[in-house]
Amino acid sequence: MSKIKSLFESGKFKSAFIPYFTLGDPNYNDSIEFGKTILDNGADILELGIPFSDPVADGPVIQRAVARSLKNRFSFDEIFRVTKAIHDHKPETPLVYLTYFNPIYHCGISKFLDRAKESGIIGLVIPDLPFDTDESETLFRELKARDMDLIHLVTPASEKKRIQALSKTSSGFIYYVTSFGVTGERREFSVDLQERIRFLKETIRLPICAGFGISTPDQANQISQYADGIIIGSAIQRVIEENGTDRSKAVSALADYISKIRAAIS
Amino acid sequence: MGKNLPGYFGEFGGRYSPEILTEALEELESTYQKLKKSKKFKKELEYYLRNYVGRPSPLTYAERLTKQWGGARIWLKREDLNHTGAHKINNAIGQALIAKFMGKKRIIAETGAGQHGLATATVGAMFGMETVVYMGAVDVERQNLNAKKIEMLGAKILPVTAGEATLKEATSEAMRDWALNVSTTHYIVGSAIGPHPFPTIVRDFQAVIGTEARSQFKKQNKKLPSAIVACVGGGSNSIGMFHAFLKDKQVAIYGAEAGGLGPKPGEHSATLTYGKTGFLHGTKTLIIQDESGQIVPAHSVSAGLDYPGVGPEHAHLSKIGRVDYRMVTDEQALDSFLEVTRVEGIIPALETAHAFHVAREVAKDLGKKKDLIICLSGRGDKDVTEVLRLLGEKNK
Repeated sequence: MSKIKSLFESGKFKSAFIPYFTLGDPNYNDSIEFGKTILDNGADILELGIPFSDPVADGPVIQRAVARSLKNRFSFDEIFRVTKAIHDHKPETPLVYLTYFNPIYHCGISKFLDRAKESGIIGLVIPDLPFDTDESETLFRELKARDMDLIHLVTPASEKKRIQALSKTSSGFIYYVTSFGVTGERREFSVDLQERIRFLKETIRLPICAGFGISTPDQANQISQYADGIIIGSAIQRVIEENGTDRSKAVSALADYISKIRAAIS
Repeated sequence: MGKNLPGYFGEFGGRYSPEILTEALEELESTYQKLKKSKKFKKELEYYLRNYVGRPSPLTYAERLTKQWGGARIWLKREDLNHTGAHKINNAIGQALIAKFMGKKRIIAETGAGQHGLATATVGAMFGMETVVYMGAVDVERQNLNAKKIEMLGAKILPVTAGEATLKEATSEAMRDWALNVSTTHYIVGSAIGPHPFPTIVRDFQAVIGTEARSQFKKQNKKLPSAIVACVGGGSNSIGMFHAFLKDKQVAIYGAEAGGLGPKPGEHSATLTYGKTGFLHGTKTLIIQDESGQIVPAHSVSAGLDYPGVGPEHAHLSKIGRVDYRMVTDEQALDSFLEVTRVEGIIPALETAHAFHVAREVAKDLGKKKDLIICLSGRGDKDVTEVLRLLGEKNK
């Protein structure tokens, strides 16, 4: 069984808290501190974003974070160095990467996965790589050989047939997109969110974690009643953005925000 | 989906877009497959192409250019004479009819030079659809006339300020809008790019250019031309021009891409020369990218060619060597723009001016008694202000 799935089955929590932030914003060394802070204040799984110049599935907050990150010279060496430092701080918390497919393809799938694994990564989320592509099948095989997970996205528009087909090449957990559109904070979610998550739980034998649009402790609390996990990205990135390059201020604001969300998830 | 299934051109193409768009893309694909076979749809499309766009567009013998260049006889496929002044309307009409059939009341588009935005705003007005056009803020400035026309037609322009604020960013933003409004909105992709089925749909709607040119030329000359030339950004006019000739092995095919200011990254949009295989805006194709797979900003004097990717079918045609893609610098394009304007009395779009430069080289190589058709993809009224500015800079 995958490390992520067994974590969900361990009974350590009722619903997992899965924060996300973009590596390199405002610089790589600050990212290490942000990662440690988030881990110390209650992340059950941490998603690290590898910046890509054209993040079509992301809203304005993460787009700006990526743009700030890419003002530093992008290098995979830096990405893996930072990842390792975050992993070493708390090795028991699973780390996954969220990125677009082009940088992985360009790096070379095997090389990328070997280095990601060495740095402590145990799963990947790739918003622009649908499961029914040759590349996704290759990636799933390569990940499986390394005991790593491929976490697919399912959306309110995904039809039953597609969801069933997708479950064959999915592992770890399912990233359920709570609403139409791109990442970013929202006031409301689609009305049938609870039903959809229940349906997914019955159809795919994997934990179902909800993301896209969640930002407040109330929202996190409410959705955690029926989802196996809560993914928050834009709201965290906003905390980093609002504190600019003041690392200590950003660290304390992050600690405050993360602990509030953690406390709200029952 | 696999390599042997529709949607791929050799190793390129496919559907690499966010999951939220998959159902809409599948609906679009199945609707299009149905409509393609429908006599009613074909008749309706033909009606609008003939009575609204003004098709067939003429195939004009360019006597003065032929003399000036001193090589092959030059023929121009006059997409500049279409309503709205470019080939883009062929596709906009077709996709608007699909949207109408699917019951979508809102259409969106991305635009670089503004020609596709203008075409979309035009069909939006004609069919009474709410229309939103994403345009890079830089392009809103350099293609101001088109931007103004788009607004006059009742469409909303949303200027995109992210990144380089050109076509790439406008495309990303249109994709995001579509992801949010997918149930009510059809995204009229303007070039032969994007996730399957867009490259095929756009190609099919633009194929009218080459089909007409081929039969017009054959009727007048009782043979096929020796060569055809078109400019390539995303590549919609060129794939439309090339498609009917691909099986005619005796016809040499040339594409002109934007060599910009020179070969350094960031100074050109020469995807087929410098691009590497990658994934952008939902398709696997050749892309200008750095050693880490980050997309490098493109540059071209013509906003319509200023894109770091290219339609996947062009990537395939380049790889198998069926089309000879050549680079044309900003300066060469500007020279051709002025030459064609003065010699032939036709102001071509700056995009098309790239094709004229390659055509000149090819015409010389072919020599007399051979024939060459250039796809004159659009007219250059929209570029006049920008050209005057550039000439002013040059003469400083």
